[in-house]
Amino acid sequence: MKLSGTASLSAPPQRVWEALNDPAVLARTIPGCQQLEETGPDEYKMTVSAGVASIKGTYLGQVRLADKFEPTSYLLHASGSGGPGTVSAECLVQLRPEGDGTALTYDADAVIGGVIAGVGQRVLAGVAKKMAGQFFAAVDAELRGIAPVSTKPDRSVAYLERTDVHQGRTDSSWGDRNIHVDVRPFLVGGVAGAAIALLGVLVGSRLGKGR
Amino acid sequence: MTAEQHRTITLVVNGATHQVDLPVRRLLSDAIRHDLGLTGTHVGCEHGVCGACTVLLDGRPVRSCLLFAVGADGAAITTVEGLAAADGTRHPVQQAFTECHALQCGFCTPGFLTTIAAALEDNPDPSEEEATEIISGNLCRCTGYQNIKAAVLRAAELKRVDR
Amino acid sequence: MTFGKSVTRREDARLTTGRGRYLDDLGRNALAAAFVRSPHAHARVGEIDVTAALDVEGLVGIYTYDDLGGPLADPLPLLIPHPTLTAGRTGYPLANGVVRHVGEPIVMVIATDRYVAEDVVGLIEVDYEPLPPVVGLVASRAGSRLVHADLPDNVAAHLVQETGDVDAEMSAAPNTLRFTQTIERSASMPMEGKGVYARWDGQDDSLRVYSSTQTSTSVRAAIAAKLELPPGKVEVVAPDVGGGFGVKIVHPWPEELLIPWAAMLLDREVKWVEDRREHFISSAHERGQIQEITAGYDDEGHLLALDARIWHDHGAYTPYGIIVPIITSTQLLGPYKPRAYRCAIDSMYTNTVIVTPYRGAGRPQGCFAMERTMDRIADDLDLDRAVVRERNLIQPDEFPYDHGLTFQDGRPLIYDSGDYPESLRMIRELVGWDDFETVRSRAAAEGRTVGIGLACYVEGTGVGPYEGGHVQVENSGRVLVSTGLTSQGQGHETAFAQVVAQELGVPLDDVVVTTGDTRRFGYAVGTFASRAAVMSGNAVALAARAVRAKALRIAADALECSPEDLDIVDGVVQVKGDPSSAMALSTVAVLSNPLRYAFDTAARAATQFAPRTDPTRAPVDEDDEPGLEARDYYSPIRSTFASGMHAAVVEIDRETCETKILRYAVVHDCGNLINPMIVEGQIHGGVAQGVGGALYEVMHYDEHGQLLNASFMDFLMPYATEVPHIETAHLQTPSPLNPLGIKGAGEAGVIPGSACLASAIEDALGVRISAMPVSPSDLFELLASDPERTRKGSR
Repeated sequence: MKLSGTASLSAPPQRVWEALNDPAVLARTIPGCQQLEETGPDEYKMTVSAGVASIKGTYLGQVRLADKFEPTSYLLHASGSGGPGTVSAECLVQLRPEGDGTALTYDADAVIGGVIAGVGQRVLAGVAKKMAGQFFAAVDAELRGIAPVSTKPDRSVAYLERTDVHQGRTDSSWGDRNIHVDVRPFLVGGVAGAAIALLGVLVGSRLGKGR
Repeated sequence: MTAEQHRTITLVVNGATHQVDLPVRRLLSDAIRHDLGLTGTHVGCEHGVCGACTVLLDGRPVRSCLLFAVGADGAAITTVEGLAAADGTRHPVQQAFTECHALQCGFCTPGFLTTIAAALEDNPDPSEEEATEIISGNLCRCTGYQNIKAAVLRAAELKRVDR
Repeated sequence: MTFGKSVTRREDARLTTGRGRYLDDLGRNALAAAFVRSPHAHARVGEIDVTAALDVEGLVGIYTYDDLGGPLADPLPLLIPHPTLTAGRTGYPLANGVVRHVGEPIVMVIATDRYVAEDVVGLIEVDYEPLPPVVGLVASRAGSRLVHADLPDNVAAHLVQETGDVDAEMSAAPNTLRFTQTIERSASMPMEGKGVYARWDGQDDSLRVYSSTQTSTSVRAAIAAKLELPPGKVEVVAPDVGGGFGVKIVHPWPEELLIPWAAMLLDREVKWVEDRREHFISSAHERGQIQEITAGYDDEGHLLALDARIWHDHGAYTPYGIIVPIITSTQLLGPYKPRAYRCAIDSMYTNTVIVTPYRGAGRPQGCFAMERTMDRIADDLDLDRAVVRERNLIQPDEFPYDHGLTFQDGRPLIYDSGDYPESLRMIRELVGWDDFETVRSRAAAEGRTVGIGLACYVEGTGVGPYEGGHVQVENSGRVLVSTGLTSQGQGHETAFAQVVAQELGVPLDDVVVTTGDTRRFGYAVGTFASRAAVMSGNAVALAARAVRAKALRIAADALECSPEDLDIVDGVVQVKGDPSSAMALSTVAVLSNPLRYAFDTAARAATQFAPRTDPTRAPVDEDDEPGLEARDYYSPIRSTFASGMHAAVVEIDRETCETKILRYAVVHDCGNLINPMIVEGQIHGGVAQGVGGALYEVMHYDEHGQLLNASFMDFLMPYATEVPHIETAHLQTPSPLNPLGIKGAGEAGVIPGSACLASAIEDALGVRISAMPVSPSDLFELLASDPERTRKGSR
């Protein structure tokens, strides 16, 4: 199944990166996200609870980042499994400046198996799009200045340089701030909107009981 | 979308009291068939014309597809399953239907049985014309009605014998 | 002796006490389905937006054509191909870009219950681009609009049946007449609509489907093919079915494929039960034809040439082939022998519901054509209508009568037996035909207008290719009978039990019959075309005879006598003339299975009879099998022909133009009768549908292809007040074609209805009736305009 879409975010790409870099932000904005944690270099696992009407579920997803060309694009590999379904997906996310903000596009290609694949393409696609929309709307609200993005000094948004990814940290300077930037969570976050929305529907579910 | 509005009602069906929690828009026919599992009452049209869904509400025949279950809260309902005696002896009209071959596929039959059973309480000795009148509100596609008319008269006869 | 007795039915015990098990009584915990169906008669289907529906609590899935893959994405099968059906077309399980009639399914919704499913259906938005619809035969023939873009004349098939030289006979005929008449659509309209309930076992990879169908074996074959399952892993069961009348022989309905498919996808039980409106707009109709008849005859009324040019409305698709017009073309001949005959039929497409057989399946239309011709010939020559018919009848010594045509089973149209002159004599006597003028003048003196009508028909029944029966005697003595065809109220559980009880010599109560379950019997065709009694009746008889022969052989062995010395009476095998030397059939059943283990009382009782100890013979012979059971099939050389004649006396109210049927008489010949009570019931039901079709039932399509009367409020079916008392007389000319000598009876009652009542109304009013059904307003308008008068009417 192919799924693609766009989102307009009210901040320049840099700030968008930083917001999406913050796991606390992600945990707040990913619909149904219960837990998000790093399991290795460029690898994350998360627990999300989501669904549509009778197809609700809690499921586990694994995400791996690749082909990172900051600050323009990423490829995200996602997979997940649960009760009646499995999914594996690849999602390409791209950012470009658009006026004062950012135009984000995502293109996902997913293979869905199991019972959850049986709800019909339009339901799958419809729910995925809906959740992606919910995610980006929530991120956008954060960006429009509900609170300063960084709540922990070592998670401040900064201009990014390519870093030694294995270490996951880099020292950089921007203006008068010395900050650490942890690339990986943000990379995860950067693609979270599409992939997680996708996972939210596709991975692990429990159909509602009969009458 | 908001969840459906539910209500808990009491349906006394064939002498047994049931507390049922159901959506307020549930038809009485569906409540009887699905919530109570009494599938003897059938649904042929859902717009009150064929009569297959006829049950007795406080003794009077009604189209259960035209009533909401909540509207029957507290009423005494008799379905085809309740026509036989407690010991399993069939009601005279059920017996008459077999004797007269007044059913073929049997789908319309429960509606006829309840209608005729109630009518014979009011008019225990119908004429042929009255027998036709009694069944003139129920549709049957199989029998051509001739044997059903005969069954009305035979049921009346059997009832007289029972007394 | 149970064969030929009016035994009360075994089915009634459960059906009169609310313990029937119809489709919707099953699958209490199944998910429910509903469909978005086309609101347009002809349209391209664009975007399907389900966004608004996604939030509905209880939604499980939404499916469109895009979700279908493999054979499921192919067009639905064209069941009965025919060389003249050069432009057959079928639809898809879910519309593939185009819809061609109001009601065609586009989207399937699965939800926790039907109420929710219908909520979801209401929230799905479909973009349509309406296209010009073709409604009615006149519009279809005009051809300015097309139902299928690649068929420029809207013709599905052009078929011709002819015998003799019609043109030569017509030009040589001393008299000719020509007229046009029309018949409108009606429909089977069983009291229970269609339904499908499917259970998938993911651990066993097997599927069980219940369907309110007339052919469980064919539904199984279709499901196995379309869902790519081995047939052995698919079971289809027809539960109690609330009437079929033909509409449930069509297979596979889209839902019969989609519901099992959804059950597999979701690993849940799924059930769909249609509502009445759905049935009106998405099942099938039948009867609509325009007929142009030309007849050549001599001064005595002998029919020399009959040329019938017919246009048949087939609806949007032809999944059931052109069986209905084929039947019209052959059954039109009735009991007569015109010197030359031609019937040319164009089967036309329209943007309306598909046309497939409805009780009669084209015979009523054929009968209408011939019988109205007979009436007009009589009128022209000022002869009695019965006399004209009499002069044209095939005589009893002319059987077998070969018409030189091909019947619907692909075999020669050869009438095997009957006695038409005797039937005519009987109907004239039954209805008082010859004294009617007295009745008429007495009525006229009271200011009442009455008339009498007559119509004759011949019906090909028991069409092949085969049916099978399995008979097994259990150790308990119970006799299990199964056959693959199905039941919709015909009393098969009783009638077939009667056949077996008689053949085997067991009490009727010991016999239990199962029909329509592929788990019990896997090869079958189905219940339609008045074939069940002929086909399965004979098949179970043959199987029972085989069981009887085996039982006698085994008993003879054990009783140390010869099988010819034995008889079976009341379930006991006994020596003729010496009842003390006997053994119960249950004992024979035990002996038939030479195991060492005595599980039950019957087995223990059998041990008194020593098992075979002859060391030169194996315990089970090479050509034998364990068990007291047999399976056999009946496959007819061709159809066997039943016949009948109906007469009706009507009264027309001059003010309201309402038609009241004062008397309705039936003479009926279906050979030997298994259960006369059941046969009469079939006739009654058929007559009621004939009355409905003549006076009340019609499908009202407007010029946009909208079905205006898609409910019982506006589609008028007869109640008890509309159906007359039916007087029946039986004639029995046994069929020489099958062992039991029976002919079919299922459709007989409906075939001559329109012809008979048109004849009577015309006789009453003296104006030509050339369109059916005829309502009071039709009659009013007819009388008010300047109508074509009959000879009597013009006086």
